[in-house]
Amino acid sequence: MGDKLKMLTIILLISLIFAGCSMKDPTQAKVKLKVLHAGSLTEPFKELKKIFEAKYPNVEVQLEAAGSAKTIRKVTELHKEADVVASADYTLIPKLMYPEYADWTIKFARNQIVLAYLDTSKYANEINSNNWYEILRRPDVKFGFSNPNDDPCGYRSQMVIKLAELYYNDDSIYDDLVAKNSNLRWVEENGNFVLKMPNSENINPNTDKLMIRSMEMELIYALEAKEIDYYFIYRSVAQQHGHKFVELPAQIDLSSVEHADFYKKVKVILANGKEVTGKPIVYGITIPKNAVHRDYAEKFVELVISEEGQKVFEKLGQPPITPETDNFEKLPENLKKYVRS
Amino acid sequence: MTSNTKSLQNLYINFLKIVAFLSSLMVLFILLPIVSTVLNQLFDLNGLIKAIQDKAVWDSIFLTSYAALLSTLIAIVFGTPLAYLLARTDFYGKSAIEGFVDLPVIIPHTVAGIALLAVFGSSGLIGSFSPVKFVDALPGIVVAMLFVSAPFYINTAREGFQSVDLRLEQVARTLGASQAKVFFTITIPLTWHHLAAGALMSWARAISEFGAVVIIAYYPMIAPTLIYDRFLTAGLAASRPVAVILILFCFAVFIFLRVLLWGRKNEHT
Repeated sequence: MGDKLKMLTIILLISLIFAGCSMKDPTQAKVKLKVLHAGSLTEPFKELKKIFEAKYPNVEVQLEAAGSAKTIRKVTELHKEADVVASADYTLIPKLMYPEYADWTIKFARNQIVLAYLDTSKYANEINSNNWYEILRRPDVKFGFSNPNDDPCGYRSQMVIKLAELYYNDDSIYDDLVAKNSNLRWVEENGNFVLKMPNSENINPNTDKLMIRSMEMELIYALEAKEIDYYFIYRSVAQQHGHKFVELPAQIDLSSVEHADFYKKVKVILANGKEVTGKPIVYGITIPKNAVHRDYAEKFVELVISEEGQKVFEKLGQPPITPETDNFEKLPENLKKYVRS
Repeated sequence: MTSNTKSLQNLYINFLKIVAFLSSLMVLFILLPIVSTVLNQLFDLNGLIKAIQDKAVWDSIFLTSYAALLSTLIAIVFGTPLAYLLARTDFYGKSAIEGFVDLPVIIPHTVAGIALLAVFGSSGLIGSFSPVKFVDALPGIVVAMLFVSAPFYINTAREGFQSVDLRLEQVARTLGASQAKVFFTITIPLTWHHLAAGALMSWARAISEFGAVVIIAYYPMIAPTLIYDRFLTAGLAASRPVAVILILFCFAVFIFLRVLLWGRKNEHT
């Protein structure tokens, strides 16, 4: 009595075990290197993945793109295992990950904010780096930026538009483009300017003029589907997607270390209380302390900052910089020779 | 009782034990994440109270329920005839249409969102000439919800129509009732329970949709978008209370409607 059932259970269990084994087999040999990175690094990292996997055929590089803040939160709050973390704002790594989840950051590339468009965008044949804000002012032009609360590209866009007021000496640019179409307001504080971000649900954009999305990459489709005529984006992203772009003056596009003092005039306080001051856009990378495959992670970061990796960034519109770190002592040995402390 | 029947009975009891064991694992799997989210929140009552007092949270929850309600009503108006057609008639290509109805369940919802944008976007097939604006507006939320939730209504309603005893309708017809009268006085009351259950499932599915909605309409913010955004900007501690409120709110509505439904069912049986 019950024998048949027992047999059945045993057979079931055995087959389950076998199923487990056979599922494991093909992938078992591969090391899965988890690389979490900012959305704007998607293209160069895809390329680095190819190079890396060719060098180490036993490794599968798993790339996971998200906004920089979210990328880091996946590690610090969701406790997701990650071997490499790369952020579009190098300051986020010390701010959010130190000391528990990481203790060094390497700056490895830079970028700049441009105004991207397509031939089909309204007034595409007129726009240039002197009149771009006049074009955006026109009532039939729709433009976009990512949510400053979620995405560095978003708060940087706000900084760029505000800096444009100072640079062009026209104090209604931000009002006309953004403030009149949303709840975003800059206030002056001792000669500097501060934008205190409302919670995202209270940004309240006039969606006939402004399109906001959580992440900058979501706006690419909006441009291509002609939902918007222009959007503020990293030069690299515009270049990689074959979009045209207006290069803004170096004084306002957050690309140049030379103008760092001017960039400092603007500061955004995010809804979560974090304060970000205008500064040149520099990418940062680290290996979190909970990395599973530390050895390969070190090799991957080495590729990123080596000459071979830097060529990739050059080609894709993210000019590399001489790698710099804030904590030379803690760096893995193999990285030290590339890095200036 | 012979020993043979006794052993058969034992076999059946053993079988039931295994069934019960496996079932409880399934229930645990579903309940554990939800219960632990809610319980974890109880340790942070301040966060929960703050979220309950936050108008933005309720605005987004009401917007979500309202959009889901609109989507469900549209599903009822256009889905009921389709379900009836699929249940009662045979025609060339019927199984293909049955397959199409299930498509939204199969495609990833981000893909659904992109596909909807191609149709309802400002330069889309319908969006380019429609006076109604879909992108970043309530109608956009409703179409995204409708797309992913309609199959739940249509399939349940079809099962309902299939379960009706055709002889009852025939009797009514031979007594001189028109086709339409039979439909509204015999068929609909007999399938009422299925239709209501399908509508409820479809409403619930619409409320839970995030992927398709966020592509077509980031604003105005529905509750799942708000939760995602709170998670991005302020982290788990800020997003969880909103999630818990949404869970409890949906659960309360669901239970309330279920009780109503059970009442209806008992009247008929």
